Amino acid sequence: MTKVFTIMGALAACVCYTMPAAAADHTVGALFPLSGPNAVYGDVFMAGSDLAVEHINADHMLSGPMAIAYEDSQGLPQPAVVGMTKLVNVTGVPYTLSAFTGVSKAISTLAMRNSVIAVNGGGVGPDLADLGDYFWNVIPLANLEVRAAVPYLVDTLGLKKIALIYVDDPLGQALKDELETEMPKAGGELVDSFSVPTSAQQFSGVAAQVRATGADAVYVASYGNQQLQIVKQLRDNGVDAQIATYSGYAVPDALALPESEGMIITGQSVDFSREDPVTKRFVHDFKAKYDRDPTAYNVNYYNATLLYGILAAALEADGTAITGEALLAKRRATKSFDLVGGTVSFQDNGTLLFPIEVKQIKGGRAEAVTSVSFN
Amino acid sequence: MLAIQLAITGLQTGALYALTAVGFSLIFGSTRIFHFAHGATFVIAAYLFYWVYGTGWGLVPGVLAATLGAVLFGLVLDRLVYVPIQRHEGSFFTVFVASFGVGIAVQNVIGMIFGRGFTSVSTPLSRSAEIIPGVYVSPLAWIAMLCTALLLGALHFFLRRTHTGTALRALADDPELVRTFGLNPRRIAATAFVVGSALVVPAAIITSATTGLNPTIGHHVMLISLAATIVGGIGSISGTMLAGLLLGLAESLALLVVDSQWTEAVTFAILFAFIIIRPSGLLGRIAAH
Repeated sequence: MTKVFTIMGALAACVCYTMPAAAADHTVGALFPLSGPNAVYGDVFMAGSDLAVEHINADHMLSGPMAIAYEDSQGLPQPAVVGMTKLVNVTGVPYTLSAFTGVSKAISTLAMRNSVIAVNGGGVGPDLADLGDYFWNVIPLANLEVRAAVPYLVDTLGLKKIALIYVDDPLGQALKDELETEMPKAGGELVDSFSVPTSAQQFSGVAAQVRATGADAVYVASYGNQQLQIVKQLRDNGVDAQIATYSGYAVPDALALPESEGMIITGQSVDFSREDPVTKRFVHDFKAKYDRDPTAYNVNYYNATLLYGILAAALEADGTAITGEALLAKRRATKSFDLVGGTVSFQDNGTLLFPIEVKQIKGGRAEAVTSVSFN
Repeated sequence: MLAIQLAITGLQTGALYALTAVGFSLIFGSTRIFHFAHGATFVIAAYLFYWVYGTGWGLVPGVLAATLGAVLFGLVLDRLVYVPIQRHEGSFFTVFVASFGVGIAVQNVIGMIFGRGFTSVSTPLSRSAEIIPGVYVSPLAWIAMLCTALLLGALHFFLRRTHTGTALRALADDPELVRTFGLNPRRIAATAFVVGSALVVPAAIITSATTGLNPTIGHHVMLISLAATIVGGIGSISGTMLAGLLLGLAESLALLVVDSQWTEAVTFAILFAFIIIRPSGLLGRIAAH
C-alpha cells in the first residue's frame, strides 16, 4: 500500500510540475511541434514566446502572472485538433499560438466556433489569410515570398527554368500554385514539379528526375527534417542547379548544413539594429538568454505573445473581461502596435505585412541580397 | 538514361533494405519475437557512428562502436524484456507492445541526447560522379552493394556451414527438438539477436552519410523490414534479401510511371499483392521444406 501511495504521490508531483500554467491568472495556449520530425521548430518557436512571457511578467503588464499552456501538435493536423480541443474546453484559453499551415487550417474552425483567437507566426500557406476573424497572422505569407523570389531568380540571376519539389500538403500545394502563377509573369517557366509525401526520406530518385529536366534552379517547398534531406540528396546525387526555398529553411540546422551553401532563401525582413525600445530589449535579452542571434521565427512568436499582453492590458484598463471577442474588438480598435521590428498595423484580414528579404546562405548564415516591400 | 539511373539508385536502396530486413527476418524467423525495436537498433548504430566518427575518432572506432552498441542493445533487450515476458506469459502481442514501447523510448532518448533535428555524416564518398553521360553514382552506392553481397554471403555460409547456424535454423523449425538435442534455445536466440542486430550496422552507417539521420528514422526501417520479411517469406533469409532488393528497385523505378508521392505506396501495393496472391512470400514455401 505504501508503494502505491508513493507512486501516486510521485505522479501527482509530476502533474503539478508540468502544469505551471494552471497557477497563472493569464493562460494562453500554444500548439507547437514538440516531438516528431518537426520538433526542431518547436524549440525555435518557444524561445520567442517564453521570452515574451518573461518580459510581460517582469513588467507587470497584466493584473496577474501570465503563462503558456503548450500542447504538442507534432506539426500535424490531427494531434493539433486534439490539443486545440483541450485548450478550448479544458484549459479555457481565449488566445492561442499556432504554427504550420496544415495545423493552422485544422484548428481554425475550432477557433472560430469557440471565439478563441489563434495567432500564427510560423505557417506561411497563402490561404491562412482567409481563415476568419479569429485567425491572425504575424508572419508574411508565402505568396509574398514567392513573389519576391521569382523576379530575383529569373531577372537578376537569369535562371529561367525552375523545377519544383513540394511536400504533398496545403503548404506545398499553395507554393506550387503560386509558382505556376508567378513564373510566366516573370518570363520564366516551371518546367516540372514533383510532389513528395510528408513522411518521405529518400529522394535520390527525385534528384535523378530533377536532373533530367535540365532546370536552371530547383525550388524546394518542404519543411522540418525533410527539407534538409532533400537539399543534401539533391547535391549528393549530382544536382548542381541553384536551389531556392522559402522561410521554412531559416532554422539553425538547415543553415549549418554544408550542402546549403549558396542557396537562395526568402523571409520576412526584420531590422534587428533598430533603436526602438521593444526591438532593442528583445535582441539584447534573446542573445543573453539563448547565446545566439534571433531569427524571424523567434520574433514572430515573441510578437504574437506580446500582442496578447498589449491587448489584455488594454482590456483590463477598460475593465472588460478578457475573451476572444473582446481581444478581437480591441485589436480592431487599435490602429498600430509597437512590436519587435517597429510599429505595425494589421490588414483587414488579420495579417501583418512585412517587407520580404531575398537572402543567400554563405558560411552558415543567410545574408540579405535584396529586399522587396509590398505595402 | 533515367531508367538506368533509377535502377542503380534502386539497387543501392534495395541493398540497404535487404541488410536491415534480413536482420529482422533472422530474429523473427528464429525466435518468433516481433522485434519492432529493430528500427531502434538501426537508430542506435547510426547515431553511435555519427558521434564517434564526428568527434574525430575515425572510421574503424566508429564502426566498432556502432556494432558494439547495436549488438549490446539487441542482447540486453532480449535478456531484460523479451525473456521475462515470455517466461511469465509468452503472449506474442505483449512482446510486440513491449518492443514497440522500447522503440519509442529509444527514439526520445536519442532525441534528447543528439537533438531532434537532422544530422548527417559529411563525407566525399556520398557525392556522386558521372560514370556515363547522365548517370551518376556515388562511391557509397558501390560500397553499399558490395557490403550487402559480402555480408549476406557470409550469413549464408554461417547458417548453412556452421553448427550454430544449423542450430538457428533448427530453432525456427522446432524449439523442442533443439532442446532434445541438448542445446539451449535461449542461447541460440541470443545468437540470433547478435547476428541480426549486427547486420543493420552497415546500412545504418551508409544511411547516416546518404539520407541523413533523425531520431524517427527507425520507423521507416521497421516498415521496410516488415514488408520485406512478408514479401520474401517469413523465415526465408534468401527470400527477405530478394524482397529487400525488389522493394528498393520498385520504389525507385516506380518514378518512371507514377508521381514521386506514390513511391511509398508502391512498396505496400507489392506487400498487399503478395499477401493476397502468394501469402507464403517469394521463397516462403521453399524455406518451409
